[in-house]
This record gives sequence, structure tokens and C-alpha cells, in this order.
Amino acid sequence: MLRYQENDELHRDFHGTTDTTLNYIAEHFGVEALKTILRKTGRDVYKSIREKLARGDASELVEHLNWFFFREQGKYRLTVNGDEIVFEVMECPAIRHLRKLGLEPSPYVCLQTSEVNAGMCEGTPWTSEVEVLGEGRCVQTFRRKENAK
Amino acid sequence: MIPSDHFVRFYNEVFKFLDGRNALEPYYREISRHQELHCLDLFRRERLKGVLKYYERIRIEENCGMELVSLPDRVILRMTRCPSLSKVLDGDAEPCPRYCDHCGGWEVPLLTKCGIYYIGNMISRTEPRCDIVYTESREVARQVYRELIDAGTPPDLIDTNLDDWEKVEKSKPAR
Repeated sequence: MLRYQENDELHRDFHGTTDTTLNYIAEHFGVEALKTILRKTGRDVYKSIREKLARGDASELVEHLNWFFFREQGKYRLTVNGDEIVFEVMECPAIRHLRKLGLEPSPYVCLQTSEVNAGMCEGTPWTSEVEVLGEGRCVQTFRRKENAK
Repeated sequence: MIPSDHFVRFYNEVFKFLDGRNALEPYYREISRHQELHCLDLFRRERLKGVLKYYERIRIEENCGMELVSLPDRVILRMTRCPSLSKVLDGDAEPCPRYCDHCGGWEVPLLTKCGIYYIGNMISRTEPRCDIVYTESREVARQVYRELIDAGTPPDLIDTNLDDWEKVEKSKPAR
């Protein structure tokens, strides 16, 4: 069950504010500072997902990925195979909306995904990686470490 | 992707990082410049009706508890349930003590450019509600501000561009 239930209207323009923020922090405080904030977002905001992962329960992570991409009408395929979760994104809804607003996606737009995912996994038997395939396309993989099985 | 539903939770993390470096104000100005994309032409062209139109959309899209009152000389926005602070207070991450300051932080510079006065009463930084008055009249703005002070509202809970009244006046369209 999701810690943060969201079922009402969407304000997609927040993707534009996120994009502006990614650029602002990187330009004024450096990419490492941006990574710190994103990692902390993954670790603290998604504490519930992280604590479940620590107990070997990936159910909230799977529900999170599925629900929020479904809600924002992304194109994706989610495959759960025991100790591996593969989330293939064919069209990222955030980047689609940035283009709709006439905004250039930040060079750090995919860093938000890789660092937030890493924050969710911090201190748990799970690892995450993001392979960017092109604009708006990536493969996010979560894997349970071999020695944790 | 940080879902748009969770942007405010990320915003809260950014605020805590910047607040610890006494660096919130320049960031608010950057957000204000970004928000010009959505508001500047609308507010300059349609004045208070533009403000009303923008917040009608926000009320729906952000799922606000919000009352909008349109009077001949002002628009009053009563936020009865701020979805932004509500989410942050309900989150697992610690709220930024100055979370509420971001609204005035981006709105004041933008409205000043549009020749519109802003008087925002945060009421409390730990309650998801506030009152904001938008007006083109300096006299109305001063009266609203005076009433807040007379009622005992702490000045640090009030955001306004009254101090920049010369800029506000210069930014008004020629009539």
C-alpha cells in the first residue's frame, strides 16, 4: 500500500518547476549538492518504500512506479521477476510535459531518477541503476544483492 | 521521475538545503522568473481577472481548499486547506520551518512586475491555511496591511510588495 495516496487532479506544470530547480541547484551549488538533495529525497520522503525494501518487501516500490506513471499517462512496461524489477520507460511524462511547455529538459533530468531511486535503496539489500536510452526513454532496474538472498 | 504529485516534497528538501545556507531568496527569484511563463502575460493583460483565472486553475489542479472572492478593487484568496503544506506536514521527511515563505517569495517579484500589490498573511507556518489580497490600489493595500498589524499579526507572517510601491506603480499599464 502506498504511503502517499494521490487520486485527485494533477498539476503537471510542477515538472517545469522541478526542471528549473535542477538547473538552479547544479549551477549555483554544484552537481554533488544536487545529488545530495535528490538522494535525501529518495531516502527520507520515500522512507516507507525504503524500510520495506530493507525487510525484503518491494511491493510499495512496484506500486509506486506503476501508479505514478499510470497516473501521468507515461508509456512503460514493468516486469517483476523475484529479485529483479525492470521498469522500461518508453515515454517519460515529465519530459513530454516540459516539451509541451516549450522548455528544454535539464541536463540533470535523468539524474533525479537515478539519485531518488538510489536513495530509496540506501541501506537496503537492493541496488538500482538507470540506463538512459534516449530522450524520455530509460530502463530502471532494481536488483536484490546476491549476498542478501 | 519525481511525480508531479510529489514535487512539493522535493521542494521541501530543496528549501531545507538552501535555508541552511541562508540562500532561499535568490532561489525564490529564479522560481518567480520561471513562473512568468504561466502568469506574466496573463496578469499584465487581464490584471486582477488574470489573477483570478490563474488561481481558479490552481484550485482545481492542486486540489486546494480555496475560496476566491472577486471585488471591484481586489481579489481575496482564502486558502482553507493548502495542499502543498498539507503534504509536507503529512510526509515522512521533516518540514522546512520556512516552507510557507516560498509563495510570497515567487509571487511578490512577479506581481511587482505586473503592477499589482500583494498582501499575504501566512497566519501560521505550521497550519495549511493563509489569506492573500491582490489589488491595484496602493491605498487598499496599505489599508489591508494596517488592519493586519492592528489585529496583532506578527510582521514576519506578512509578505507584501508595499515597500516597493514605486516599482509597482511604474509597472502599471498606461491607462
